Amino acid sequence: MDISSVQKLCIHLISSAVQRCRLSEDLCRLSVVLKSSPPIIRVSISDTGTGSCLEEFQDLKCNREGIGTEKWGISDNKIYHYHLNLRGSVSARRLTRLPSIPKNDAKFSGTEMLILKIPSVAAELLIERGDASGLQCENVFLPNECSPSNFSSSNVERLKSGLEEYVLKHRNSLNNKCDSCFCSRGKLKISSGVACSMESHRSPGLIVEAVIAISELSESLCFRSSGNKTEVLHFKDFSPSSVSIASLNALTSIDWRSYGLTLVSAVDQVDHALIEWENLPPYLHIDMVIHCYHKQYPTPCSTIQILVITYPGKYKYQPDRHLIRKGVKLALDDLKEKHTGLLLSAHAVKICSYAPDLASSIAGIILSSNDLKFRSKCSSLLELSQSQEIGKQTVEDRIKEKIISVIETNDRKPEKIKEAAPFLFEDDRLQDLDPADLYLEEHEGGDDVFSFPD
Amino acid sequence: MDDLSKSSMKFFSDQQLCFADILLPHEVQVRIQVTVLNFLNILSSPDPAISDLPLINRKSSNSRVSEGILTDVSWIFLSHSFCSRSLMKANATKAFIRVWKVMEMCFEILIQDKRVTQRELFYKLLCDSPHYFSSQLQVNRTIQDVVALLRCSRYSLGIMASSKGLVAGRILLQEPNQEAVDCSACGSSGYAISGDLNLLESLVMKTDARYIVVVEKVHAIFQRLAEDNVFNQIPSILLTAKGYPDIATRFLLHRMSRAFPDLPILALVDWYGSATRTKDLFFQLSHSSISKNPAGLAILSTYKFGSIGMGLEAYRYACNVKWLGLRGDDLQLIPQQSLAPLKPRDLQIARSLISSRILQDNYRQELAVMMQSGQRAEIEALYSNGYDFLVKYLAKKIVQANYI
Repeated sequence: MDISSVQKLCIHLISSAVQRCRLSEDLCRLSVVLKSSPPIIRVSISDTGTGSCLEEFQDLKCNREGIGTEKWGISDNKIYHYHLNLRGSVSARRLTRLPSIPKNDAKFSGTEMLILKIPSVAAELLIERGDASGLQCENVFLPNECSPSNFSSSNVERLKSGLEEYVLKHRNSLNNKCDSCFCSRGKLKISSGVACSMESHRSPGLIVEAVIAISELSESLCFRSSGNKTEVLHFKDFSPSSVSIASLNALTSIDWRSYGLTLVSAVDQVDHALIEWENLPPYLHIDMVIHCYHKQYPTPCSTIQILVITYPGKYKYQPDRHLIRKGVKLALDDLKEKHTGLLLSAHAVKICSYAPDLASSIAGIILSSNDLKFRSKCSSLLELSQSQEIGKQTVEDRIKEKIISVIETNDRKPEKIKEAAPFLFEDDRLQDLDPADLYLEEHEGGDDVFSFPD
Repeated sequence: MDDLSKSSMKFFSDQQLCFADILLPHEVQVRIQVTVLNFLNILSSPDPAISDLPLINRKSSNSRVSEGILTDVSWIFLSHSFCSRSLMKANATKAFIRVWKVMEMCFEILIQDKRVTQRELFYKLLCDSPHYFSSQLQVNRTIQDVVALLRCSRYSLGIMASSKGLVAGRILLQEPNQEAVDCSACGSSGYAISGDLNLLESLVMKTDARYIVVVEKVHAIFQRLAEDNVFNQIPSILLTAKGYPDIATRFLLHRMSRAFPDLPILALVDWYGSATRTKDLFFQLSHSSISKNPAGLAILSTYKFGSIGMGLEAYRYACNVKWLGLRGDDLQLIPQQSLAPLKPRDLQIARSLISSRILQDNYRQELAVMMQSGQRAEIEALYSNGYDFLVKYLAKKIVQANYI
C-alpha cells in the first residue's frame, strides 16, 4: 500500500470538498471522519458545499487492489458521501496524536488544511478508533482553538491565525499550544503580506498571500528544533499544493540581506519548499506559508455547460515569481515595521555594533565637564534625572539606546525615502557639499604638492 | 601702512576664507560642549536622527589663493566647501567615531589644562581604543578632522606637533624667565625649535643678521654651514625644518619676518627631491610626518604660501621666501656625474607645481627648464668643488642678490 498516494488521494478529495464549500455562499461544514476497525480504516470526507462533477474522480488512478470507491450520484443539493475503503496495515495508518510517538509518516493532510481556515467553512476531523473496548468517537482537531478568529476576517487573517496555531502547536504535533515554549505572547511574531495581480479578460485576478512567523525561543525545550531550516508551506486555491518553480525563484531572488538573513539554498521538497539559512541565531525559528488563489472562484462544470472548464480551479494562469516575491517582501516589511529590532539588515546590525563606542565618547565628554549647566542640559535632553550622582554608565546606556533606536528606525524605511541626516552645525556660509567622503579608511592623501599634513 | 594695506586687501578674499580660530582652552571646551548639545538635541528630537559631521574639505578643490598685491606675501587658504561624514555609511563609520574619540580626549586634556604632543595622543588613543586607531597618520588626520569640524587651531585643542626645526646663527632667543640663548654658539645642531606655539610666541628675539637662510637639509647643509660659522662671514640666521616644514618652524619664521621685516628670507633647497636616505627617513617617521621626498621647490612653497593639509591655520604663517638655489643656472657648477635622472614622482610633483595658480612666472620658468633637462641634483653636489665651496656659493649669490 502506497501511503503517499493515499495521502494524495485524500488531499485531492478534501480539496474538491473545499472548492465546493467555497462555491457555496452559505456556511458549510467539512467533515473528515476516520473510522478504524482493523484491518480496515475508513476515511470519510463529507461537505455541505454545492456542485460536484464526477469527472473529479476520473483522474484518480485507483489501480491498487483494495480501494473501492462507492459513490452515489445524486442531484446537487444533496450531500454526497464518498467512502473510500482502505485496507492495509493498521499501524501505518494510525494517526498519532501524541508527540511521543514519532511515527508521523502518515501525517494527515488534514493538518495542513486546517491552516487555511477557509472562510465560512467549519472543518472538523473526527477519529473513531475501534478498540477492544468498542468504538470511541473523538473530536481531535478543531480549528480556532488557540485564537478565536473573527467570523468575518479576511482570508489572510485566517491564514495568519492558522499558521500561528500551527507554530504554537509545534507544527501540529501537539494538541494544544506549547506553553513551555510560548509562555509569553511576545515569543511569536507573525505578519502577512498580500500581493494582487490585475484582472484582465485573459486572466483572472490572482492573489498571493504570504504569512511569516518568527519565534524567538530562548531554549528549545521541546523535542525538535528546526535549526536553520524553514519549511515553506504552499497552498493553491485553498488546497495544499506543490512548490512551483516561480515560487522557488521568488524565494531565492529576495534580498534577504536587507533583513539580516543569509539564504543558503531553497529546494523543492515536493510538499513544501525547504529553505536553509546561514548563521541563523539558534533561538530563532522562521515559518512561512504562501497561498496563491484566484480572486473569483471559477464556476464548476455542473452548473454551466458552456465554459470549457473541466476541473474546478484549473486555470492556466499561474502566479509569476514577481507576485510571489512581492507578497513575501510585504510580509517581511510588515514584520520589520511592527517589531523594532527584528530582521535588521546586516548593515544596520554592523552600525549598531559601533553604537556603544560612540555613546561612550559622548558620555565621556559630558562627565568630564565642569560646567554644571551643560551637564544638566544634557541630562534633560537624555531624559535622565537631574541629580548629580548620575554615573557614566547610565548616561552611556541612554545615549546608546537612542542611537540604536534611530538606526533601527532608519533600517525600516525603504531606501528611497531615507533622508540625509541633519548637520551638526548649521552654517549659512557652508556651501558646495562634496558628496564623496574623502577621508575613508584606506585613503592615501592627495598627491597635491601642498597637501602633506604635518 | 602695512597694516592698512593688508586690511583693505583682505576684504574680498575674506569672504571666502575659512579659518580655524586660535582660542583659549575654555573657549574650545565650550565649542565641544556645543557640539555635544547639538548632537543630543537632534538625537532626542521628535524626528530623531544621528547628525552628520560637516568637515571642511582639505583638498585643492577647496583651496584658494590670496594674491599679495600691495603686500608681497601670497598665501593659500581654504574656503567653505565641506564634506559630510555620516555614521550610517559603512566605510565611514569608524572615521566618524574617531572624530568623537579625539574630541573626547582633547576635552579631557583641556580640562586638565595640559598640552600633549601628537605622539603622546597616538599612544593614549591606541591604548584606549585600539580598534579605531592603528597608526600615527590616522591620528594626525583625525586631529585635522576635529580642527575642520570645530574650526579651531590644533594648538588650541591642546595638541602640539613636535617640531623638527633648528635655528643657528646671529640671533638671541630668550624664553620667559630664562637666559638668552645665543644661537651662534649652539654648535652645529643649533637651537631646537619647540613645538609649543605659545612658547614660541613668547620668545624675545634679538638679531644683527642681514639675512635669514632657510635650508632644506640638516646633515649635509645646515650642520656644515653652522660648523663653518657661515653666519660670521655672512651675517645671517640659519633655519631648517629637516625637510617639509612643520607648523612650529613656519610659525617662528613668520615671527622673525614680522620682527625683522628688512631681512630677506632666502631658501636653499635641492633641485627636486633627494634620494631617500635612511637617517632622514628615520627622522621623518619618528617625527610622524610622511616622507614623500617632496621636491625642494615644494618645501619652499610651503614656507612661502602655506599648505592645504593644515590650510585652516597655515595661511597665517606664509612668508615672503625667496629662492636662492639650487636653480637652473647653478647646474653648471655641478659635474655631470653628480646629476641623477628624474624619477616619475619628481615629474608628478613638478607638474602639480607648475599648474598651481599661486606660483609666480619666474618659478614656473625655472620648473620648465628643470623638467626639460630631466635631471635632478642635491645641494651636496656642490661639494664636489671643495668643502668650502658651499659658503662661497652662498656668499656670491647673496651678494649678487641672485635670488628670485
